[in-house]
Amino acid sequence: MQGKLLKKEGLRDFLQHLMKKAELVAPVKTDTLRFQTINNPEEVCLEGLPIMPIKKYYLEHKHTILNFKGTQIRVNNPAPKKRIIFGVRLCDLNAIPVLDKLFLEENPDPYYQSTRDNTVLVGWHCDKPVDEYCFCESMELKPFYDLYIYEVADSYFIAIGSKKGADLVKHLPSFEYEPTRIKCSKKLEKKDLNRFLENPTWKEASKDCLSCGPCTNYCPTCLCFDIEDEVELDGKTGERKLHWDSCQYKDFTLVAGGFAFRQTKADRFRHRIFHKIQYFKDKFGIYMCTGCGRCIRWCPTRIDFVEIINRLR
Amino acid sequence: MIYNPTQVKIAKVSKQTADDYIITINKNMKVEPGQFLQVSLPGLGEAPISVCNYGDKFLEFNVRTVGNLTRNLCMLKPGDAIGIRGPYGNGYQLEKYKGNHVVVIGGGTGVAPIRAVLKYIEKHRKDFNDVHVFLGFRSPNDIIFKKDIQAWKKMFDFNLTLDKGDKNWKGKVGLITKIIDESGLNNDNKIVFMCGPPIMMKFVGQSLNKLGFHNDQIIVSLERHMKCGLGRCGHCMVHGSYVCKDGPVYQWGKVKDLKE
Repeated sequence: MQGKLLKKEGLRDFLQHLMKKAELVAPVKTDTLRFQTINNPEEVCLEGLPIMPIKKYYLEHKHTILNFKGTQIRVNNPAPKKRIIFGVRLCDLNAIPVLDKLFLEENPDPYYQSTRDNTVLVGWHCDKPVDEYCFCESMELKPFYDLYIYEVADSYFIAIGSKKGADLVKHLPSFEYEPTRIKCSKKLEKKDLNRFLENPTWKEASKDCLSCGPCTNYCPTCLCFDIEDEVELDGKTGERKLHWDSCQYKDFTLVAGGFAFRQTKADRFRHRIFHKIQYFKDKFGIYMCTGCGRCIRWCPTRIDFVEIINRLR
Repeated sequence: MIYNPTQVKIAKVSKQTADDYIITINKNMKVEPGQFLQVSLPGLGEAPISVCNYGDKFLEFNVRTVGNLTRNLCMLKPGDAIGIRGPYGNGYQLEKYKGNHVVVIGGGTGVAPIRAVLKYIEKHRKDFNDVHVFLGFRSPNDIIFKKDIQAWKKMFDFNLTLDKGDKNWKGKVGLITKIIDESGLNNDNKIVFMCGPPIMMKFVGQSLNKLGFHNDQIIVSLERHMKCGLGRCGHCMVHGSYVCKDGPVYQWGKVKDLKE
């Protein structure tokens, strides 16, 4: 594979070069590892997987779509911002093609489109799993990036995935390298889940579920949202906002009159797993799961859906 | 912008029952029976409401006062502004069924999209053969579209039943399945359009099957929590299908045994 070569001691200069081009976002060790804006290359930490994936830049946790005062309504148009996100693992990179399917293919979402157009993704290769929860090897991930960095002895090999990426590494010398693929000890067995729709497993497996939502909030591909109005104390001024929601909450399917279609934890748990592994794949040909393991890693009761699927017989 | 409502002025608010109102707006919109709009007021949010009649210059929807938004919508006066976006959903696509006998079944608030179906048939009466209507409401006070019902009685084979009558009620009392079971209908060249509570559709489906109807002759509209209308936000999804976009209208066979 053709790419570019960067000596390890040149990484600091490279990050500074990126900072001059746009806002630079990278993993930073704070209370935990988080993607955030970098002011100094020393802040960047490339050990481990950030707690929150990069979807927070593509679909903000909460954002205003309309401002209103009385019956006067003003659309809040997206404010484009050039951004480079550095140090993104292959699992998180592969979430973007999933989000594209729903946010770009029909009736494109202008906020998502704006982020897509103005973001450059610089990936960081995992030569081994970050921890025991990773299972990306099973999820048929594709090379999706503008640039992608492999550690090779005392240097970095930078693969180029787009013109936007190529423009950032024009100054670096060319290099050829054949990368190796990651091996994960945790594997997801491929099964037609429709055969197990009525299996008692879903009830058993969701026994410890708290319907609390980190499995969806931390998921790089979970995109369910709600639309709600927030009003000031004057009762007139306010904003219509789009904010993350979770199919694991009981009121997610609640309709007027008080009926919720997915009443039980088992229904909601099964729905999440089927959406990730079956429905989306059937419809779009890719999984709505990239094997990052966050839904297991950050589940307070450590419900492991991979184990659960593997046990289905 | 995809989430931006169009502001329209209310032309008329007409009280149907203690809880139901027809809101009319003067708006020319390409819409068909079974489709819905996201109707909103600033500060109170949006709700999906199905179209219950439309013409070249107007559009009507039935609002039931079940929450804050709907209560406020029904208190509005002609000239007041509301926000609408849509229409969303696939609709009943009635033109596909020209030349058939039609059976139309509705229960409770589910009669709202059914009214749009019947209004379409009124306008295109020659395109359809016999029309059999079965409506069910809880009590005399819950009957909506009373004026239309008077007209439909003359136009169609019209049947109405109440779960519970009162001392003045001279019509039928009992579940809607009862009047369908007793109708003696056969399934020859017939197509059924149905909307109502899930439990009603389940049992009516069984009654129709007993009369010989196949599941692909029965077209239903599902109720779900529809928020974005674009097949995206996830609330309405059922077994991989976005009810707001792939539905809300489905062949009964495709949804009757759906696992949520």
